[in-house]
Parts: sequence; structure tokens; C-alpha cells
Amino acid sequence: MIDPNAVDVALPRKEYEGEAARPAQSYWNESWERLRSNPVGMGAGVVVLLMVAIALAAPLLSTYVTHHNPYSIDLSATFSMPSKAHWLGSDEAGRDTLTRLIYGAQVTLTVAFLAVAVSLVVGGTVGLVAGFYGGLVDNVLMRFVDVLLSIPAIYLLILLTILQPKIGPIVLSTSDPRSLAVIIAVVGWGGLSRLVRGEVLSVKNRDFMLAARSIGASDLRLISRHLLPNVLAVMIVAASLNVGAVIITESILDFIGLGIQPPTASWGNMLTNAQTYFYHSIWLVLLPGALIFITVLAMNVFGNALRDAFDPRLK
Amino acid sequence: MLAKYILRRVLASIPTFFGVTLVSYFLIWVTAGDIVPGVEINPYIKKEDIDRIRHNLGLDQPFWIQYLNWLGLPNLAAQLHLISGDWPKGILEGEFGRSLIDGSPVITHILDRLPNTLELTITAILLGVLIAIPLGVAGALRRGSKIDHALTALSVAGVAVPSFWLALMLILLFSVQFEQWHLPWLPSGGAYSAYQGGDFLDRVLHLIMPAIVLSFGYLAIWSRFGRSSMLEVLSQDYVRTARAKGMSERRVVYLHALRNALIPLVTLVGLELPSLVSGGAVVEIVFGWPGIGRFALDRAFGHDYTAVMGIVTFAALLVIAGNLLADILYAFLDPRIRYT
Repeated sequence: MIDPNAVDVALPRKEYEGEAARPAQSYWNESWERLRSNPVGMGAGVVVLLMVAIALAAPLLSTYVTHHNPYSIDLSATFSMPSKAHWLGSDEAGRDTLTRLIYGAQVTLTVAFLAVAVSLVVGGTVGLVAGFYGGLVDNVLMRFVDVLLSIPAIYLLILLTILQPKIGPIVLSTSDPRSLAVIIAVVGWGGLSRLVRGEVLSVKNRDFMLAARSIGASDLRLISRHLLPNVLAVMIVAASLNVGAVIITESILDFIGLGIQPPTASWGNMLTNAQTYFYHSIWLVLLPGALIFITVLAMNVFGNALRDAFDPRLK
Repeated sequence: MLAKYILRRVLASIPTFFGVTLVSYFLIWVTAGDIVPGVEINPYIKKEDIDRIRHNLGLDQPFWIQYLNWLGLPNLAAQLHLISGDWPKGILEGEFGRSLIDGSPVITHILDRLPNTLELTITAILLGVLIAIPLGVAGALRRGSKIDHALTALSVAGVAVPSFWLALMLILLFSVQFEQWHLPWLPSGGAYSAYQGGDFLDRVLHLIMPAIVLSFGYLAIWSRFGRSSMLEVLSQDYVRTARAKGMSERRVVYLHALRNALIPLVTLVGLELPSLVSGGAVVEIVFGWPGIGRFALDRAFGHDYTAVMGIVTFAALLVIAGNLLADILYAFLDPRIRYT
């Protein structure tokens, strides 16, 4: 990988540009070209964007398209079949399934992207610091990660969701998607920090690091301007592959009743009572699960495409 | 050399274990440290009585005393006549705390349910290995064929299916629809029939769906991994040598290539050793399988913090032991690995 900043320091770029046979392409540009030429990966990316767009437009869609409120109960129309009034039928309280699925996308994607963002920041920072400083700092941080990864995630999640820990004035209550995201991130950042640390170890002794250090760059500058850009690709790939895993984790927690609580709709908690729908409303079981499946699948395929684009050797 | 490596790995995992106990105890203490669930909100219990209950449970003591008691260090010391006094039994003596609901040692509950959990996870892992290896080999031998592409697609999809939804789908098909179609249907939950059940056939029938769901996740990963491992081995020099000697393709593939391709797969399966106890938790919950995962969830809903904490610690202990075992197994199988 080429460090653009190091090149900046070592070789004034101005003199080079005129002489190159083709315009100099940055690492990111090249990766984007490779990603663009991967139709499956781009397709998956479009599906993900579509889901995000639907989630963002949930209030608009419910007002102008489905004409239902996700919480409005209609006991005269429970378990109605798909019809003109309810395009995808209604549930046990007569709530419109399509509207609830759209709002569920909002909840699920909020949790997924937020949890991944938080674990990127925490895991990335820990990995960068541990890898850069090495020695005692590295030892202490990585032993802590060992401890964290030794506790099976599902039990740690059960523990945290029933305890609803307080951090100062903030209560991590699972009725709020943002809190649930933080809980999932707290449990899940360990693997990412290990990955980033490993990547840092392989980069930190390269010449450009020595060059930057020898002209007197501070530790903070070395980490943020020289190390980070080099491990960013790995972080982005890991993060995009993590989104799918978080969506599944979140839907499991919602499903068993520890995550997002009804009446707030999420794809997971719409399946909580699925076993009681088996004899009359199969679509209530099929739809949320199918959406989870499609979203996770698209996310994973896109993540794989990203990995191939950033590092074609791995393909 | 190997003995030294093993010893070092064992010693290195001891601090991890204490770290796990400290973290999980601290979590409980900081969030629910002095709470006796159900008692504090009961208007018919006097303040003095609440204080007495808290005192009896040792909840009025400082964090360090509580933690050491929970570990059982003072009791150990007292038995060695280092200190005097009556101290509670703890984790180090295999107690894993006492349930807040029924006051019994958590370990008795865990051991009650451990056989059921192991029955499920071991079956699933075996099933996964037995199906994944042939699929992986088939994909590698016919690289780029329709079969290969289908298998790849299947494994990509397999990772993306939420296991609980797959479980629901199987129940819908094999329990609900099969019954409506008057076909022999599978039981949708539990490990055996409550009424006149419990014989071998009954248990197998109950095991089929949970084991399939659990093994599906393994299958998706392992078949993919087996394929790439096999591909890598097939391009090695010794495979070419074997072919050059005029060996039949069958012998080359199954005698030379497969055996070497299995080494990394063994580690991968070895890495699943820790999940023997916790890996099936979600499947247990969906199928009402009377294992440790189901128990943990039930007690979590009952606010039996000490029980959940005991299970967390027990599971973490097994994860550490499993990782240790996987490392040793790998070093044992592949002498190329340097013991550093």
C-alpha cells in the first residue's frame, strides 16, 4: 500500500504529474474502479442503498404510500389477508404489516450501522494504540480483549440487556435502538481491534513511518495521518462484513425479547410470536425473516466485493 | 518442546480466567450490586428485613470482599488454616454462585443441562464436518463448474440466514405442514416427549431439526474453507510428484491431497470447541431445548443475576479451555508449527 502523505513528504508531487504516462491514480481511485467493474458487488451495494433509502423515507412512505401508522391498532381487521387496504396483510392487532416492515428497517439499520460505527471507533483506536506502542500498553489492551472474547457473546448480550447498565446519566435501556447499538458494540469491538493491531504491526516498521518519524512527526500525527490511512481499507472491509453479523445478532435479541421492545417494530420482534401465526398467517413469518436474509446477504456480498476491490490478491 | 509449549499456554490462560471473573462480577456489581430482585419493591417487607436479607446474601460488603467470596478464596484460605472464620464456598471449589431464586448452587443446574447441550452441539458439529468435507472436495475438484458455483452460492446464502428464522421455517414445514398433510411430522420443541417419551427414537426425532439448523451455519463456513484448502493443496509440489509417479487420480486426491487439506480444517473445527457449550444457545431457545442456553435465558428473565453470572463464567472457562485445546491440537497435528 502507498501512503499518500509519506509521498508528499518525500517527493514533491507537482514535478511528477506532467511526466506520468497516465494520470496518477490513488489507491482509493483504483479500488473504486475495481469495485465498479464487479457487477454482483455493485448490485448488492444497490440493494443495501435501497434498504437505507426505504428506512430513511419511512415516515413519507407510511403517509403517502401505505396510508397506515405502524402503531395504529384496528381490532376489526386482525390477521387480514393481503388486500388493497393492507398490501401485505395485518398482524394480531390489525397493524399494517408493510408499514411495520418499513419502520422495522429503520430500527434494524440504525442499530446495525451505529453498532458497527461505535465498534469501529473503539476497536480501531484500541488496535492502533496497542499496535503502535507495543510493549506493556499492547499487552494490557490485548489481554483485556482476550478476556472480552472469552465470554460467549450471546451470554454477555443477555447479561447486558437484562441489567441495562447506567453510564453516568445514560441508561442503556434496550427499548432504544441507540442503546442497543452501544450494547452490541461494547460486546463486539474485540475482534476488530485484534485485526487492526495485526495490520498496524505489519505497517509500522515500513520506511515511510521511519521517514515521517525522522522529520519529527508526533505520535498522534504518526497514528492518525500515516498509520490510519493504511489500515483504513482493512477496517472498512471488516466493518461492512460486520454489519450483516450485527443485523443477525440484533434480530436474535429482538426475537427472544431482550432487544427492541414492542410496540416499536423491528424485523426481529415481529417474529417473536411467529409460532402462533403458523396456522393462519404464514406471511407474517416469511416476510421479516426474508428481509433480514436479503439485507444480510446483500451486505455480505458487498463486503466481499469491497475486500476484492481493496486487495485483489485475496481473491 | 511440546510440553513446554503446553505449560506456557496453560499459564497464560490463568490471568484470562481471572479477568473474565472480574469483568463479569464487576458488571453485575456496578449495575445491580445491592439489589435483591422482587424484595425491594414489595411494600409488605420492612426496611430492617430488607437489610437483613442483604446482609445474609453478603450484599452489604465492599466490592472486593464480595468478589473474593464469590471466587471462594477466603474459604480456601480458611481450609488451609491461613485465616479463621466461616466463608462461603465459591467458584474455585466449583460452586459458581448460588441462584437468587432457589438458593441452590448454580453448578448443579448447569450439570443438569450440560448433557442435553452437548448432545445437540456435538451432533451438529459431526453433521457439519461429515457433510462439509465432501462438499468442499467436490467444489475443489470441479472448480468453476455448475456444482462449484451452486455450492458457493449456497454457502454465501447459508451465512446470511438467521438461524432462528431457519428454525421457524423448518418447524413450519416439518411440524405444521407435515401434520396437515397427514405425513409423519417432527416434534417442534424440547429434547424428548413429556408423555411416554425419552427412549432413543424419541430423542433422535427431537434432535433432527435443532441439529440441522445448528449444523447449517457450520456447513456454510467449513465447506467453503475445505474447498480453498483443497485447492491450495492440489497445487502443491508433492501432489504433482504423486501424479508424475503415475498414481491414480483417486489415490492422489484421497491419499495425498485430502489428508493435508484436512489439517487447517481441523483447527477450524477445533476453534468450535468452545462453542460446544454456548454455540447452540439461540437454537436451544427457539426449540425449547432444555440446555444451558435456554436455562440462561429463563433465569435472565427471572432476574436471577447470580445464576446468569455463574453460567457466563462457566461458559467463559470452557471457551478458554477450548482455545487451549485447539492450540495444542494444532501444534500436535502439524509439526511445522514453531512453538513460540
